[in-house]
Amino acid sequence: MPGLPMLPETAPFPAEQITALNRIMSATNAEQRTWLSGFLSGYQAANAPQPAAAAAPARRAPLTILFATESGNAESLADVARKAASKLGFAARVLDMADATPAQVAAAQNLLVIASTWGEGDPPQRAIDFHAALMAEDAPRFDGVRYAVLALGDRAYAKFCETGRLFDERFAALGGTRVADRIECDLDYDVAANAWLGGTLTQLQAGLGEPDAGAAVIHVDFARAPLEASAYNRTRPFEAEITERIKLSGSRSTSETWHVEVSLAGSGIVYEPGDSLGFLPSNDPALVDAVLMATGLSGDAALRAALSERFDITTLTRKQVADYARLIGDASLAEDVAFADGRQVIDLLSAAPHGLSAEQLTSLLRPLPPRYYSVASSLKTVPDEAHLLVAAVRYETHGRARSGVASVDLADRRNAGERLKVFVKPNLHFRLPTDPQRPIIMIGPGTGVAPFRAFMQERDAVGARGKSWLVFGHRHYTHDFLYQLEWQDLLKRGVLSRLDVAFSRDQPEKRYVQHALWDARRDLHAWVQDGAVIYVCGDANAMAKDVHATLQRIVGDQALDALRREGRYLRDVY
Amino acid sequence: MDRSLPPSPNEAIKANSRYLRGTIADGLTRVETGALSDDDQQLTKFHGIYLQDDRDLRAERGRKKMEKAFSFMARLRVPGGVLTPAQWLAAETIARERGNGTLRLTTRQTIQFHGIIKSNLRLAISGLNDAMLDTIAACGDVNRNVIATANPWESRGHAEVAALAQAIGTHLLPKSRAWHEIWIDGEQHTGGEEEDEPIYGRTYMPRKFKIAVALPPHNDVDVFAHDLGFIAIREGDRVAGYNVVVGGGMGMTHGEPDTFPRTGDVIGFCRPDQVVDIAEKVVTIQRDSGNRSDRKHARLKYTIERIGLPAFCMELERRLGYSLSPAQDFAFTDNGDRLGWAHGDDGALHYTLFVENGRVRDLPDRQLLSGLHAIAELGVGRFIITANQNLVIADITPQQKRAVGELLRAHGIDAPVSGLRRNSIACVALPTCGLALAESERYLPSLVARLEDQLEQLGLAQDDITIRMTGCPNGCARPYLAEIALVGRAPGLYHLYLGGAFNGTRLNKLYRKDVDGDAIIAALSPLLREYAGQRRDGERFGDYAIRAGHVRPTTAGNTFHDDLAPELRS
Repeated sequence: MPGLPMLPETAPFPAEQITALNRIMSATNAEQRTWLSGFLSGYQAANAPQPAAAAAPARRAPLTILFATESGNAESLADVARKAASKLGFAARVLDMADATPAQVAAAQNLLVIASTWGEGDPPQRAIDFHAALMAEDAPRFDGVRYAVLALGDRAYAKFCETGRLFDERFAALGGTRVADRIECDLDYDVAANAWLGGTLTQLQAGLGEPDAGAAVIHVDFARAPLEASAYNRTRPFEAEITERIKLSGSRSTSETWHVEVSLAGSGIVYEPGDSLGFLPSNDPALVDAVLMATGLSGDAALRAALSERFDITTLTRKQVADYARLIGDASLAEDVAFADGRQVIDLLSAAPHGLSAEQLTSLLRPLPPRYYSVASSLKTVPDEAHLLVAAVRYETHGRARSGVASVDLADRRNAGERLKVFVKPNLHFRLPTDPQRPIIMIGPGTGVAPFRAFMQERDAVGARGKSWLVFGHRHYTHDFLYQLEWQDLLKRGVLSRLDVAFSRDQPEKRYVQHALWDARRDLHAWVQDGAVIYVCGDANAMAKDVHATLQRIVGDQALDALRREGRYLRDVY
Repeated sequence: MDRSLPPSPNEAIKANSRYLRGTIADGLTRVETGALSDDDQQLTKFHGIYLQDDRDLRAERGRKKMEKAFSFMARLRVPGGVLTPAQWLAAETIARERGNGTLRLTTRQTIQFHGIIKSNLRLAISGLNDAMLDTIAACGDVNRNVIATANPWESRGHAEVAALAQAIGTHLLPKSRAWHEIWIDGEQHTGGEEEDEPIYGRTYMPRKFKIAVALPPHNDVDVFAHDLGFIAIREGDRVAGYNVVVGGGMGMTHGEPDTFPRTGDVIGFCRPDQVVDIAEKVVTIQRDSGNRSDRKHARLKYTIERIGLPAFCMELERRLGYSLSPAQDFAFTDNGDRLGWAHGDDGALHYTLFVENGRVRDLPDRQLLSGLHAIAELGVGRFIITANQNLVIADITPQQKRAVGELLRAHGIDAPVSGLRRNSIACVALPTCGLALAESERYLPSLVARLEDQLEQLGLAQDDITIRMTGCPNGCARPYLAEIALVGRAPGLYHLYLGGAFNGTRLNKLYRKDVDGDAIIAALSPLLREYAGQRRDGERFGDYAIRAGHVRPTTAGNTFHDDLAPELRS
């Protein structure tokens, strides 16, 4: 395999092992190699000769684990890292970038950074301040800080893991000492991230010269993604029965939104309003057939099942274009990785059809990630149930009809009585105020209204007295007013204090939630003065930005920043 | 009236409404519902606005956790039906931007906008106001839009009756400022200070009140179908005065034989300058004597039936302080429109355009909305809505005729239609009308098409025969005056009436009960065949049906339900 370094003949292995290792290495992809390096680090650390017992440390070494999270994954990993670090004898503390300043962090001795990248290469919203301060000219020096960065991202975006990369480079530029190479993880980060954490913590510890004998054996559980508190998680989901499935959008709506109720009975699963439910979808059988057909693998039943359930056969990354081009020896395709933009796997396979083996095909594909939906219910109102609000995603690009994997799976292929593979993903940063008297302003157009239905059910159930204000929007009042009768009832009973709406296509001039906010700016200002928490849920690309800009105009840039720092401006956008 | 019975709930709503304000303005701010409160729904009618819902969608709404698909119908007040081209364009814009994109020409010479949701309602009404149009008193217990013959052959006479319709309408307009307050200015004018309704009083009329002005020989307004009518009597090219007609009305209720349609009675003749005064006095008699307990018996026709025509006339003359002259002779030839180009007395040209069921919209082969838009953009003439749901493009100069004609042709809207179709009228009914029991506007065209095949074979394709359909018995398409009438009973089922006079002077009679489309065709086919073979020279289908004994003639409203075939007596 040209291009990749081979084990030299001088490597400390018998010749036939060198040949075997080279053969194995040449068949690996970058992710597999990353994983392997992490694994070997952990393995090495776990089996290293134990230092003398006399060298037991007088004190536990401090470790700061700093995370920047948008969806909660980085935060979960930070918790995993903290547990592993404690076992190794670190006095680990976890710090949210939202609550941290560079000056604080620069004082750390050992620093583990876990940073996700959001959208087109942006830092998570809650980490914007920290990011800006770190990049600023007057950022503090990091001399003496021993650090390593774990970057989370999505290869479907061109600036994959951009935030982690920038942090890594910046820490180095500010004098920090990188103790392990940065790892860049895709959506299926669990195993690689765990392996890297094991190895990196060991390296951090090794440099201290005073490892904790009692915690020298690292246990990194590769089989289990330790993200969720519940017994069920993304690798071991609960099979929840669909008990209700209603298309909420009117028959003349131009959109398609579904209300899906699943039973959690017997699972012991609990969630809080604001949390998300993860769902493991199946791929569109027609698309599975098309992929099998394009690769000449139509007869392979086992592969068919794997493509249905386990592999992402839609999202196309530039890396996949390059990998495929290399696999089929297509030089021109190799130079055209931008082919990936706006296209999907089937476009690649159809553009340059080539017979593949099952292994070649699956090695090309990423694992099928779970999809997350904000839960639209409260267990206090509907015990043992979780309600989801799902907008069916359908569009056309490059002459092909496309459909959202999970949303259309729910919309077209799942009926009441069938089971969904689900698990809870907590969202600690999108919770009702602990004080039931505190006013809340909920801005949630489209399916963004889901968590607010949960909030209202919760506040109704506990008899919370705080004022509540919902700002909802969609296309047409008549056909898209999701949960209209429920809002009417909540208003009548005073659980919901105020409702404002913006329907974009009911009149010649487009009207969105930010326009409703602007119209109500005086009252909004007063609510904020009264201590209201502002929640925004829904579309990240346009809505959240426009709402943000409008809120800035209404309450002022600095005041809005202050609200965010106080936890009174919370967003769950996607 | 029987004062021992309690007043209907509407009376208290009116009395407590602070002259038609109610809580409408507050209700408009409630975004969680597309509706208004029950009481306010009654009051908006006085402002020309009805709350409706899309009945096609009713079944799905609850399950989808949404209320009924509410929207509003707004009805213009257009005395005589005359609009400028600029007003037509404004109306079209309102329909496109705030309504369902269509205009609905009505049998009372106005335009209805359908599908206006609450958030657009105020903008729609104020947009109309900007074009010098309003919806005041277009519905409700008041005098409604005053209609007048839209007759392009008689320009001078037409101008006079149109001016008279305008004068009556203005005189009987409610004086309350509520309409302007709620829909235009958005603020209180009166600050709660007492207003006065010198003609109506606090509780307005017991029920709606309708006035029509007809210019013989054409009875396009169906002058006998209204509470009050005026029939112009000409001397030369001037209108010398008017015969006064009282007590007409269409509505009835299925299964309640004490409700019935009634043709008005001609009670005398008056000078033109007496018309407004007479209108006011007839209105006040009905205001004081009409039944305010039972809205099904609250029209003037029941008052006259109750107190008797002589007593009514005595009371009228007492209030007038003078007597009417004896009625003068008149003759009506028809109650329809004459389509196509016509020359006026003064050389101006008029084009009467067939608008099937009054629905102005673009169909692939018949682009009414676009075509009329283009013609209105020429900025010439007038747009006159007829009482048969058609449109006259009036007062076109010979130089402009060609441009108008080309636009009509280019949009496919001047294509000839059969005699039955051009004399067909249907009410709106489903999906928006809350009263509809059966389809009407969406069904009649296809039913006519089935009959057209037969008429073609019988050589009757170009014979004028009136056919009218309504989705309920309330009579918006004036069905009881048609030669063939279909009145909805239940989805897919109609009562079939025959024997109305072609000129609108005689009510029809029930011929078949609860018939569906196939049964309607089966019932009419042999009659049309007979008619084709056995009619006398110039004999109308409605007259033939009586001569041949298929139905007995209805000579007065109170015998409408009598003289039925044995199997029809209930």
